This record gives sequence, structure tokens and C-alpha cells, in this order.
Amino acid sequence: MNDRGAGAFDTSLTAIEPDKVKLDVQNLDFFYGPNQALKNVTIPFADKAVTALIGPSGCGKSTLLRALNRMYALYPGQRATGRIMFDGEDILRAGVNLPMLRARIGMVFQKPTPFPMSIHDNVAFGVRLYENLSKADMAARVEEALRRAALWEEVKDQLASSGLGLSGGQQQRLCVARCIAVRPEVLLLDEPTSALDPISSARLEETVTQLKADYTIVIVTHNLGQAARLSNFTGFMYLGELVEFGETAAMFTKPATQRASDYITGRFG
Amino acid sequence: MAASASRIAARRVANGVFVFFCCLFTALALLALAAILWSLLRQGLGGLDLAVFTKSTPAPGSSGGLANAIVGSIMLGLLAMAIALLIGVMAGTWLAEYAGASRYGSVVRFLNDVLLSAPSILIGLFVYELLVEPFGGFSGFAGAVALALIAAPVITRTTEDVLRIQPTTLRESAVALGTPFWSVIRQVLWRSATGGILTGALLAFARISGETAPLLFTALNNQFFSLDMSKPMANLPVVIFQFALSAYDDWRRLAWAGALIVAASVLAVTIIARVLSREQKRS
Repeated sequence: MNDRGAGAFDTSLTAIEPDKVKLDVQNLDFFYGPNQALKNVTIPFADKAVTALIGPSGCGKSTLLRALNRMYALYPGQRATGRIMFDGEDILRAGVNLPMLRARIGMVFQKPTPFPMSIHDNVAFGVRLYENLSKADMAARVEEALRRAALWEEVKDQLASSGLGLSGGQQQRLCVARCIAVRPEVLLLDEPTSALDPISSARLEETVTQLKADYTIVIVTHNLGQAARLSNFTGFMYLGELVEFGETAAMFTKPATQRASDYITGRFG
Repeated sequence: MAASASRIAARRVANGVFVFFCCLFTALALLALAAILWSLLRQGLGGLDLAVFTKSTPAPGSSGGLANAIVGSIMLGLLAMAIALLIGVMAGTWLAEYAGASRYGSVVRFLNDVLLSAPSILIGLFVYELLVEPFGGFSGFAGAVALALIAAPVITRTTEDVLRIQPTTLRESAVALGTPFWSVIRQVLWRSATGGILTGALLAFARISGETAPLLFTALNNQFFSLDMSKPMANLPVVIFQFALSAYDDWRRLAWAGALIVAASVLAVTIIARVLSREQKRS
């Protein structure tokens, strides 16, 4: 961590051992055409921990998240410079196998997006792309994923019916199940509960809490309570810069910067 | 602040007049449709008997049916739709997912729109020059190609439109699972767009099932029963065209029966496709 150039924020709060860093963003700049959306962002994401990205709308949280699985590569006008080290490999360099990368770094979106197929096939979808499982093995994998997403009990009798028939909260947990069925190493959650009612949100939070034992999780959220409850580390972003990064407990009780303090106490944003 | 009573009364009158004219013109349009269906049923049902489906088109003065024309039309229609679906779905997918705002894409899109509104007789002439003249005669193949050229732009256009309205998040969430883009299209986008693409295919089918002009230059007609697509082929529109203008009562009756069959089959296919797409959405 010391070999990195000095960031724009106070690093004294962060104490992630170098070998605990799963994803390491270094000096990341991001552009939507001529507009720069991220400015020299340097942030580590720890393994088997939840990192929350907070900040006002348009600050670049989602942009940062979409750089981590190179989702932006779908759109010709968008580009990123800098380095994102993932297990020692820079995923921004040309020639990275993007489908393979995205199978290792899963993502759940703001709005639930079940595919137009059965619940079982939704969960099996990603698995089928990379693994050739027998019917029984696939059924076991689907059950495991649905259990981990806390959806199994609700859908175990209707696996053959359409995923589109579930409620919004169930659909979102289905998307989580679909994502973890592939057995990724990293989970990116882009405001996963903002379209859900409070009860569904709480269930999804429980799911995330259970998953953090095994995954590197990055969650973008506008809900500060959620960030405080779920995350081990928090990054506060403002106008495309990472203003402050540190352990969540410290950040929420004793923020190092005035901006983060104002945002957390609700004085702006 | 409240509008005065007279203004409210005036609005009410204006609204009444507007609604009246809407109803009037809707009724006129429906009346025309009902008149067409009525004469079709009245004249067509009279000519409809078993012989229509079992016997081939008669020589002047003798009795017969439409079996050769019905079978010919089905074969021409199936082959044309197969060709048009292949071209249309592929082209529409390319336009929606790969072409973007590129120059080549907009040229293809523009040409497709031109083709969409091209007079069908021109397409008949074009296929005549391309497939009839050089190969020494009218053929079922040429007829199917002409019909496919009419159907393909419709399918291309609807496929592109339907794929474009699929939510970005659906595309992205498939990509985020590590799905290669081609599989995203094949397994998620096409599946989600099936209803719309099917509707486009139906529109195209309805359009070609009554086309006569392009068939006159290509498949022509055949008085005898034939399954050989490399030879001239009987088909309902051309038979209707020839028989309806003839001096023989028998022939004119068959023309009406043929017209009824065409209308009924378009209706049947539409209903079947609607039911299928609804079933598919539910499952």
C-alpha cells in the first residue's frame, strides 16, 4: 500500500493488509466522451468484506462500480485510464477476456432484471455458460444459490414458473441468486434495495450480511444507515473524487474531512 | 379563479362535438370493414364446398376447385416467410445491436425503409429480371423470393424496433453474468422480444398473402396440381385475379371462395400467434 502515490484523502484510517486486498483501484480516471466522471481515484477493496460507496447523486459511485467489471466497455464513448488490479492482474488492459472477468466479478443492479424464463433457468443461466453440470448437480447448485439468497423457501415449489411472476423483492433476491450461482469472487451491488419496500430491503440486507463471509462485496448506496449496518469499509465520493476512505465505524463516528462529516450528518447531499 | 359557467358550458359543447366526430368516423371505418366482410361471407360461403379443397382449378366451362392454388399459396407463403424471417431477424438484430449510429447502419436503415414502401409490382419485375428471365421460365421459387422481398423489410423494421425497446438493464444484467454478447442476444433479448418479432412476422404474412402483382411476374399460375417449385405454381391471389375478371359464373364463384379463404387464414394465423405469444409470456 505504501508504494502507491499519495491519494487526495487521508489514508490514516485505512489499515487493510496488502494481501487482504482483492481489488485495487489505482489512479483511475474515467470519461464519458469528453466529460471526466472520475478523477484520480485510488481505493482498495478488501477480500471477504463489504465496502460501501456513498456520496451525493452524480458523484461517480456507480461509474466506479461499472469500471470494476468493465461494464462501460459496452458503450463506445466511455473509457477508463489507470489501473485496477484484480489478483495481481490489471483488468483495464486491452485483451482481457471480458465475459470471463464478469463471471468472476458479478453484479446486481438497482432494478430487478429477471430473464424471461423460469426461476430455475434464471439461476442456471450463468452456470450453463461455463460449466456442464448434470441435471442433479445443476438442481443442487440452483438450490444452493437460492438458499444463500434467502429465496429458496419461497420458491422451492414453483421453480418451473416464470421469474417475472415474483414480487419485486423476490425478483431482486433471484438476481442475487443468479449472480452467486456462477460462484464469482466479487459481488458488485448497485443500489440493490432502492427499488424495494422496507421489508424486502431488510431481507436483502440479511442476505448480504451472510454473503460477506465468502465474497468481496462492493455496494453503492444512498441509504447511509444501510452503509453503516452492512459495510466494513466506506468510501465517500464527491464530484468524481474519492474524498475519504476508511473503516466504516471510524468514518461514521469521526469523519476526517468536513465534506464527509456534512454529508453523513445530513447537512448536504 | 374558477372558470365561469359559460366557459364550462362551451367546453362541454366542444367536447361533445369532438367525441361525436370521433365516433362518426370510427363508425364509417368499421362500416366499410363490415361491408367488405359481409360481401365476402355472402358470396364466398356460397362457393365454398368440399370440391374447392379437393379439385384443381377448372378449364372454362367445367367444374373444379382451388386445391392447387391453396397448396401453392401455402408453399409459396412458407418458403417466403422462412427466407424473410432469416433475413429480417438477422438484419434487424444487426441494426439494433451492432450498427448503432454508424454510417453504414443508417444507410442500411434508410434503404430498408425505401424497400418497405416499394411498390410490389417493381419487386415482381426485379425478381422477373433476376430469376425468371435467366432461368428460362416462371417458377415457384421466383414467386417465393418476390414475396420474401416484400416481407423481409417489415420484419427487419419490427425486429429492430422491438430489440431497441428492451430495457438496457436486461442487456447489462446478462452481460454482467459473463455472457458473451451473441448469447445475450440469442438467449435473453430474442426471448424477451419474441412477442414483438412474431407480431412483425404476422404483419408481413398478412401483407404477402394478398399480393398479386409480384406473383404475376414470377410464379404466374398453373392450372394443374403441382408441388414442383421450379415450375410455374398456382396460388390464390393470381387465381382470384383471373377468375374474378372472367365471364364464367363458376370461376367468379371460385374467386369469391378463394378470397374468403385468404381472409380466414390471415385471421386464423393472427389469432394463433396471439394465443402463442400470450402463453409464452405466462410460462
